[in-house]
Amino acid sequence: MAVTQAPTRELTPEPRGRLLVWLTTTDHKKIGILYLVNSFSFFTVGGIFALLMRTELARPGQQLIGAHAYNELFTIHGTLMIFLVIFPILAGLGNYFVPLQIGALDMAFPRINALSFWLLPVGGLTILSGFLAKGGAAACGWTCYAPLNEQLGTGVDLWLAGLILVGTASILGAINFIVTILRMRAPGMTMMRLPVFVWGILATSLLVILATPVFTAGLIMLFADRRLGTSFFDPAHGGVALLWQNVFWFFGHPEVYMLILGAWGVVTEILSVFSGRPIFSYRGVVLSFLMITALSFTVWAHHMFATGAVELPFFSITTELISIPTGVLFFVWLGTLWKGKLRFEVPMLFALGFIALFLIGGIDGVWAASPAMDFAIHDTYWVVAHLHYVLFGGTLFGIMAGMYYWFPKMSGRMLSRKLGQWHFWLQFIGFNVTFFPMHILGLRGMPRRIADYAPDRGWSFLNLVSTIGAFLIAISLLIFFANVLTTLRKPRSAPADPWRANTLEWATSSPPPPHNFDALPAIHSGRPVYDARVAEAGPTDRGSR
Amino acid sequence: MGSSPLPVTRTRIARLAAASALLLLTGCAKEGISPQGQEVHRLFVIIMILAAPVFLGVEAVLIWCIVRYRKRDDDPAPQTVGGSRSLVVFFAIPAVIIAVLFPFGEATLMNIERRETPQVQIKVEGFQWEWTFLYLNEGLFVAGKTLVRPAVMVLPVDEPVQIQLVSRDVIHSFFVPDLLFKRDAIPGRTTTFTFTPTKLGTFHGQCAEFCGLWHSRMTFDVKVVAPLDYQAWIKQQRKKAQGITCEPQGTTLSLIAHNISWNQFCLAVPANTPFTVDITNQDVGIQHNFSIYDSFFEKKKYFTSPRITGPDSETLNANPLPPGHYYFQCDVHGPAMSGAFIVK
Repeated sequence: MAVTQAPTRELTPEPRGRLLVWLTTTDHKKIGILYLVNSFSFFTVGGIFALLMRTELARPGQQLIGAHAYNELFTIHGTLMIFLVIFPILAGLGNYFVPLQIGALDMAFPRINALSFWLLPVGGLTILSGFLAKGGAAACGWTCYAPLNEQLGTGVDLWLAGLILVGTASILGAINFIVTILRMRAPGMTMMRLPVFVWGILATSLLVILATPVFTAGLIMLFADRRLGTSFFDPAHGGVALLWQNVFWFFGHPEVYMLILGAWGVVTEILSVFSGRPIFSYRGVVLSFLMITALSFTVWAHHMFATGAVELPFFSITTELISIPTGVLFFVWLGTLWKGKLRFEVPMLFALGFIALFLIGGIDGVWAASPAMDFAIHDTYWVVAHLHYVLFGGTLFGIMAGMYYWFPKMSGRMLSRKLGQWHFWLQFIGFNVTFFPMHILGLRGMPRRIADYAPDRGWSFLNLVSTIGAFLIAISLLIFFANVLTTLRKPRSAPADPWRANTLEWATSSPPPPHNFDALPAIHSGRPVYDARVAEAGPTDRGSR
Repeated sequence: MGSSPLPVTRTRIARLAAASALLLLTGCAKEGISPQGQEVHRLFVIIMILAAPVFLGVEAVLIWCIVRYRKRDDDPAPQTVGGSRSLVVFFAIPAVIIAVLFPFGEATLMNIERRETPQVQIKVEGFQWEWTFLYLNEGLFVAGKTLVRPAVMVLPVDEPVQIQLVSRDVIHSFFVPDLLFKRDAIPGRTTTFTFTPTKLGTFHGQCAEFCGLWHSRMTFDVKVVAPLDYQAWIKQQRKKAQGITCEPQGTTLSLIAHNISWNQFCLAVPANTPFTVDITNQDVGIQHNFSIYDSFFEKKKYFTSPRITGPDSETLNANPLPPGHYYFQCDVHGPAMSGAFIVK
């Protein structure tokens, strides 16, 4: 059996020194941790950028940073948070937990796995190196619309090069995930017994291999426009400016689902564990994930309603249709909580916070889905509120739920519950104080991406409130980092299954051995660890599904 | 350890927050200064009426679960799951909401896109980073000056206005919050829409599509006035344009472009004599050129120079022109950088 051979692989590298082990590892667990360390580092950078912007906007008039610097900051903030923070955190959790949850030894292609990780810090630093270039970093928004993107300096070339690397990394990673999930499952782990998080990663990977190559091609076309004399996107030389938007959003909207499907998986699993109930409708979750994956390719032009150049009713109805599978998820989440025995551990707090906030992000999207209404709120702070309620209130709360849930498995140590509660409440309150007022700012006509505003517009007070909220979020995140760093100094004491969980990663020690499992439990349902626990307790009741 | 009083406090806070959020959102929305804008505001309220029960319902069930189903003993929770029937209901409920919502949105869209016979036709040019409004029937234009003063669009109340929207460089967006409307100005395209302002007053507008360095300063105003005041304003603008005149001072002209405007509004040369133009572009990284036309309608072009990227200067030789009243501009920025060109 492979289990007996695997440890030798880890015994040899030990004398080579710890740094070299991390640099050369092909172990999916170590790579998963590298992903997380890398992403939270870029998160800190992107977060500081956000604080600088919020500080500048606290009062009308220019105080802290000039217009050019502001434009660079919001561009790089968006780019980092989307491409180097949220997506890679989910990919990192996927790296660590997909093989464990399906009972595999490692990812299907361990070396490609290492490659797709190492492209990320290189790509991220390439983007950031724009700040050192003549003319500064890319200052065109994370969407970098044509033909403005043809006009700006070297920062845009570095932005393009970095994103091409990051895009290549995610395509490689997606292929790896798909093969791993389809080919490496343990005996008994059928597709309809896969943990929902694995389904989330599978759906994400399908989106990546279908959409990201289109984007990467677009990036290369833009690079050719800028440096090789083509003119795909430049109307001054016969190109079509809107072509960029079509290419960008054909990828960019599925991207939104790449950024949240994994988090939905995390939250669904955590709700089930901490309410002591099976997922209310596992089939409903899988069906919703797949429907959203398919529908997400039909909605891209809802980002372009205000161009007056797209078919409005078609893209409006497809966009509104997505709220049907998303609505199903809410019913499943509430059905899972219903009549449960809820334990308010920190992962559960974040999962419940996720439902409360993502709901708002889902609903305020409905206004924007109606073209007539979108003409009023498009490109205003309403959209900034909406996207942060989805990606921060939604995904980042889901990611934090996952971090608290899986930290003991990854490190063998339990994060402090007290600090975790402080983190949650400060982040929950700070988030709403920051982003809820942006809805009203949007309705009052404040456009996004403006470095400054006049005092007579009636936007000053709410901007100040929003800035105060941003600092509350910053404090909450400092508590999180302090919690992680102090916990890592403590001795390893976490049991294999501290949460009374359901899925296979809890059947092995915390942290797992290099070969993952000394022995796999029998898999007769989607909740093998639950089944084993019930069987041990006595023959009273049986597993579900 | 496990039981803290937090969830109960949370109930009250969340209920209060929900109620005040709804009030705030409906209260803060702009109601519109045109029938089109008022239609959109109505749609906003309709969606609010559909969305509020969803929001309140889900948050209420969530809070109920948190309060009611807290773990109090060691009995196992029921292991029941939903069957196909509940799944059908789950799909049906949002489907019904969408089926109600979508037609409202489409009806509003049709209403606001209905074309009316325009009394005023304005070509709106966006450029980095200001606006020019060309009154096509009246033969005059108003321009803003980047970072100095916004362009002002004067409109008569209760008359349908047609906007023909273009861009001279990158994508901009013509956005007047009080109209509850915006439309992108896209290079290489002309986009047309109409609206009817029905409220007197001055309303702020601003570019809504990020367009580079001074995007945040690309503002303009819409001033809606009584019909008589509008006529008076037109007359005054015409007079102002015709009043610009100057005398030839030799055959060498010198012109400086600084902060996206010329240092002169009127140039003059002797008739039927070749002349030279010295152009100095002081705007770092920004292109300018110099062209002579019959008028800002650009029906006939008499002279044009290549684009000069600042800081740089160039001397241009031009062919003789017959006597007359001409017009010069920088083609990159249009009438916002223009003046009278007189040949005597």
